[in-house]
Amino acid sequence: MPGRRSLAALRGQGPVETGGSRLRLAEQPLGFWLAAVWLAALTFFVLLAPVLGFVADPEAYSRNVLQGVGWSHWFGTDELGRDMFARVVWGGRLSLMIAAISVAVGILIGGLMGLLAGFFGGWVDTLLSAVINILLSLPALILALFIVTVLEQNTRNVTIAVTILAARAVARIVRAQTLRFRQREFVTAARCMGARTSRLIFREVLPNLLPIIVAFTFLGLGLVIVGEGGLSFIGKSVPAPAITWGGILAVAKGKLSAAPHLTIYPAIVMFCTLMAVNYIGDTLMRRFDVRQSLI
Amino acid sequence: MTFLRRLASRLVQTAAVVLVVTFVTYWMLSLLPSDPCFLSVGTGATEELLAECRERLELDRGLFAQYGAWLGNMVTGDLGESYRNGIQVTESLADKLPVTAWLILYTTVLSVIVSIPLGMLSAVRRDSWVDRLITGGAFSLLALPSFVLGVVLALVFAAKLGWFDLGGYVGPTEGLLAHWKSLVLPVVTLTAGIMPFFLRLLRSDVITTLQEDYVEAARAKGLPRRWILLRHVLRPSSFTVVTVAGLNAAQLVNGALVVEIIYDLDGMGTYLISAVFNQDFLVVQTLVALIAAGFVAINMLVDAMYPLLDPRVRVRNQ
Repeated sequence: MPGRRSLAALRGQGPVETGGSRLRLAEQPLGFWLAAVWLAALTFFVLLAPVLGFVADPEAYSRNVLQGVGWSHWFGTDELGRDMFARVVWGGRLSLMIAAISVAVGILIGGLMGLLAGFFGGWVDTLLSAVINILLSLPALILALFIVTVLEQNTRNVTIAVTILAARAVARIVRAQTLRFRQREFVTAARCMGARTSRLIFREVLPNLLPIIVAFTFLGLGLVIVGEGGLSFIGKSVPAPAITWGGILAVAKGKLSAAPHLTIYPAIVMFCTLMAVNYIGDTLMRRFDVRQSLI
Repeated sequence: MTFLRRLASRLVQTAAVVLVVTFVTYWMLSLLPSDPCFLSVGTGATEELLAECRERLELDRGLFAQYGAWLGNMVTGDLGESYRNGIQVTESLADKLPVTAWLILYTTVLSVIVSIPLGMLSAVRRDSWVDRLITGGAFSLLALPSFVLGVVLALVFAAKLGWFDLGGYVGPTEGLLAHWKSLVLPVVTLTAGIMPFFLRLLRSDVITTLQEDYVEAARAKGLPRRWILLRHVLRPSSFTVVTVAGLNAAQLVNGALVVEIIYDLDGMGTYLISAVFNQDFLVVQTLVALIAAGFVAINMLVDAMYPLLDPRVRVRNQ
């Protein structure tokens, strides 16, 4: 009950509420830490893959064809004797790189669109909202598929396609939140003190949006990992020999009954990763009191 | 009156969005270095045949004229024909649309059936272990994209246990049981993807409703618990269910794309993907336009119908 607590604070009976935007790490549940540890481990392997001897080469053939899980091959080997753990790590390298870039750029573009639309209203809002609505008028995978079809099928264009998925989601959230903040007293106060518009937008409104944007970073990672994975799965993401998680699963699908380990372990890694980013994102979103239906 | 005006303004907006989307997609596809006449005439193409084909398809006209002609045809129900094999799009759709439509229908129904009792239970027993189990389970499902879950289900229930075969779609006229059996795994896969949204929304909705005074009053009157939950709590939440069901039904085309590939179903998804790979861009254009129109129209309808369904919103708006 935030209302009740701030009333008590006003009477001097308790601490003044800071709007709930502070995240106390020590109070986070176990799941939060598990998620953080998973993401840290993943980042470690993915970043250091080229220098870690045993995963350095995902294309190295060997005679140990279609081996099960064991000490020398953590996730077994595929039909060419390639180490599946190395392939999952390298697949993650590309999948996560695409995800990181597209979320960053998507937040920049979408955030700016939402911020301007929400702050100015009027024809700026009409125009930008029209663009946002048009981008939202197709289901995610179909939009991404269309973009990759129209552009050439390569890593850069796949990144562009999933960036648009992230941008349209950010734009909608940021616009709604900007609408909420631009009428608050502190903005009016700053305006009355003669602050320039750019200051109002970037120094008064934007800092209040940062928590949501941080939360969205994680949810957005999930969104684009799934988007890229879907594209890979239908064969329209980065072309071979590049490996992504979706691509690994798409190839493994053909050998489902003969070699289930080719599917199971990449699927588990993907599941844990999505679970981790969703969990952290969701915890932050709830912490910052954003409506849950946004994902 | 306000409702009609609202509806009219939404209708205009929707039409505008559909127009722009179809035009932009048309324009972008027309930029591709692909000559539909090469596809149409095939390997034995001579200059003459190509010229004749270009004449027939009116490719030498400007972009706007071409788009206008295409739009005119679309509106009058002529969806054109594939450059690749000359089959009418309407004819292909007649085969493929039902597959996807059944998928979406069953998925929506199953999601509602599963999420209502679970959502109610977890709201009533808020913060208990049952609630944690249900919300936690639903949350994990969100981390399973359809191409992961679909493949794993196919592995376990088709390849290993042999309960289902991945033999493709069976129409309802060829035996209802076989029809259902052919769609069980795809529907479960899709349901896992959207049910969590239903459940979450329903849970928070019911939690709010449970704190209403009229629920308290009903309880004070000594009405049976089951009756209160059904008539006083679930009823107002049913609007939420209708809304998310509507919005998600459109979103399901997304999942259908992946699920149809995994389970070898010959629906809209596989149709669109094969058209993309065959560079059959007229079919791509038509399908994308249809999907966009359907998607936007459903969103608009749900949004506009909301006050009509829920008298409380209507009162608040006046």
